[in-house]
Amino acid sequence: MTLLSLAILIPWAAGIALVAVDGRRPVVGWAAVATLGGTLVALVALGAEVLTHGEVVVTTGGWPRGVGITLRADAAGVLFAVLSVGVLLAATAHLVMGGVRERTFPGIVVLLAAGLTGLFLTGDLFNFYVFFELAMLASYVLATYGGSRRSLGSALVFTLVNLLGTFVFLLSVAGIYHVTGTLDMAAIGARMDAVDPNAGILIAVGFFVAFSVKLGLFPFHFWLPTVYTGARPAVAAILAGGLANVGAYGLLRFGGELLPRELDLAAGALVVIGAASVLYGGVLAISRHNGSEMLAYSAIGQVGYVLVAVGIGGPVGFAAAVMISIVNSLNKVLLFLTTRMRGAIVGWAFLLGALSVAGVPPAVGFVAKMELFRAAADAPALLVLLFLGSAMSLLYAFQIYQYDFWRTERHGPRSHRSQLAVLGIVAAVVLVAGLWPEPLVYLSDAAARAVGGAAVVVGDGTVVSDGLPAVTSAP
Amino acid sequence: MTLIYALAAGALFGIGAYLVMRRDLLRVVLGVVVISQAATLTLMASALGFGAAPIYPLPSGAISDPLSQAMALTSVVIGLATTALLLVLVLRVVDVFRSQGLDEVAEDEVAQEATLDAEHALGHEDEEAAAR
Amino acid sequence: MSSIIGVVAPRLLGPALILAAAIIVKGYADVGDGFSAGVIVATALALRYVSLGWELAERSLPVLRRAPQVATAGLLIALATGFAGPLVGDPPFTHYPRAGESVIHIGTLELITAVVFDLGLFLFVTAAFVVLIHHLARLAQGGPR
Repeated sequence: MTLLSLAILIPWAAGIALVAVDGRRPVVGWAAVATLGGTLVALVALGAEVLTHGEVVVTTGGWPRGVGITLRADAAGVLFAVLSVGVLLAATAHLVMGGVRERTFPGIVVLLAAGLTGLFLTGDLFNFYVFFELAMLASYVLATYGGSRRSLGSALVFTLVNLLGTFVFLLSVAGIYHVTGTLDMAAIGARMDAVDPNAGILIAVGFFVAFSVKLGLFPFHFWLPTVYTGARPAVAAILAGGLANVGAYGLLRFGGELLPRELDLAAGALVVIGAASVLYGGVLAISRHNGSEMLAYSAIGQVGYVLVAVGIGGPVGFAAAVMISIVNSLNKVLLFLTTRMRGAIVGWAFLLGALSVAGVPPAVGFVAKMELFRAAADAPALLVLLFLGSAMSLLYAFQIYQYDFWRTERHGPRSHRSQLAVLGIVAAVVLVAGLWPEPLVYLSDAAARAVGGAAVVVGDGTVVSDGLPAVTSAP
Repeated sequence: MTLIYALAAGALFGIGAYLVMRRDLLRVVLGVVVISQAATLTLMASALGFGAAPIYPLPSGAISDPLSQAMALTSVVIGLATTALLLVLVLRVVDVFRSQGLDEVAEDEVAQEATLDAEHALGHEDEEAAAR
Repeated sequence: MSSIIGVVAPRLLGPALILAAAIIVKGYADVGDGFSAGVIVATALALRYVSLGWELAERSLPVLRRAPQVATAGLLIALATGFAGPLVGDPPFTHYPRAGESVIHIGTLELITAVVFDLGLFLFVTAAFVVLIHHLARLAQGGPR
């Protein structure tokens, strides 16, 4: 319980304090890195507790459950929180070593971490929205940090599109409260069965649109390439590797736990949209000759796999979706950090990232692709799609490798040795997780079970789906 | 009553969507604000009821649901913060571009991208020539 | 119109503060809280900015220049009271004294930690509004960054 409070409090309080001071001074940047490190330690400790003793649930103010706001740490939430904060830590360290140019950067990144940990560790729908909005506000500010005219324009588009996405999300939250009379996620999952399927589908579509915009799935992707190419590499890594996790987690949590019946109904459509995303992202990534543009379109393609896996559903599909999200996030950080870097291991790190995107051993991408193949084993059409997608990712990744590292020398000063060390650590994670995949498989299975709609048990062993006061006064 | 709220929220959303489609950046911001009001109205409508404020000790008779009002209040606050951010962003964009048209921003971007692409293509041609 | 604002705006701050205090106190027996109090004071301050212009408004009331620090302090106060619970083993956002324990009364105002939370929120909302107006005014007038 203390760990759960700490994990939310540390980045929140530190972020507020850091926003108020001048972030261009190195000491402030390092304070942000230390805060993120502290948050990560608290989250890992919390994760160990969750994996050994089961869910940690706290209701604020000591109110009875259903009245107070529920904070809840389960395997899926903690896993995504650890991943996102880890990504933020690596990218922030990388940026601080190169010198921070924006006054508010360290504070904003830490506030983004606060929003992300909050939304992964809440069991209350509206609280999810509040932390979601905190994270989004921080990311809107981050997106302006390119400095160029172009990045300002793309930040405006990013902000507008995502704001509209969050309003759609809010409409669905209102819908859920209207039909179930509660905001507690576990209780919603239990009560949705009694709800008119038409209302359920409308609500589900709202959530799907909101999270697809965050993920940058195919029909909602239009903001993504300009933003990712306009931002600085570390900021692009934060947006693609950290913030995009919200979309994947949201699809899993809302599809698996809150609206399982609607997910079943829409499974076919999800697979089709995911496949379209994979093909579209792949084809456009091949047509690009610039590293960061290729990465942006590759991101659109890669999140398609997440949607395909969610559409397949079941424990295997969910586990595959969790694993692909983790791998995507690691790949994106590694690859975005290598753009505009120069030095001995940059080429190797990029090669490893490219192998991982294409799903070739020894990189961790191979494990995720295997998991996806296992999930899709019954559907020959999906297997063809996966082969095609992998072939395309191999093609575009090596095309860029060829352009960037074989044909031309990179210009500019050599990157700082400490930045290379950060890159090396991320690359080592990608490599080690690929060579020794058991922990990753175990964690994604645990996360998939947590969102898979199995009976939800609170710390003291009571099933929570009953016993909530019916507070609805809706007609 | 719920129907009236639903119609009003729908109308607001429509007006907002229309404004967001305009070229003028200030109108786009206003459109977002109007859409946020549609969301707030929907939150209020999600648990409509007549009654006294539910503060302990409870008065006799019907009480209203505080939760939807709390949600509406929170979303108003968050809407305010996002509007503020959006306004600052628009002002900065206007400051940089000295224009208020989205399409002008886009045109500028296209031109810039074209030059970037041309430079890039030139670089590759040089390499290929050198390779030969 | 502008002449009315010019007369009213400088005289509005005192009444606004009193009204805000009344709303915070009233919030413990009826509808009202630190947020609405903050909005009221901020609106009065916004009127000052409108009538005087940002430079004059801040010169006549120098505390406005400290708004970022006040906002930070307010938010930290609110967070500290909110997360004091876990320090002694209670859930976050528990208020002290707990329900049923004896409370110090000042008139109808009950002194519980929730009052401190509300005050922090009030400071944050007011100061955040001022920061916002300040930045918008400077950006709109193209003043020095």
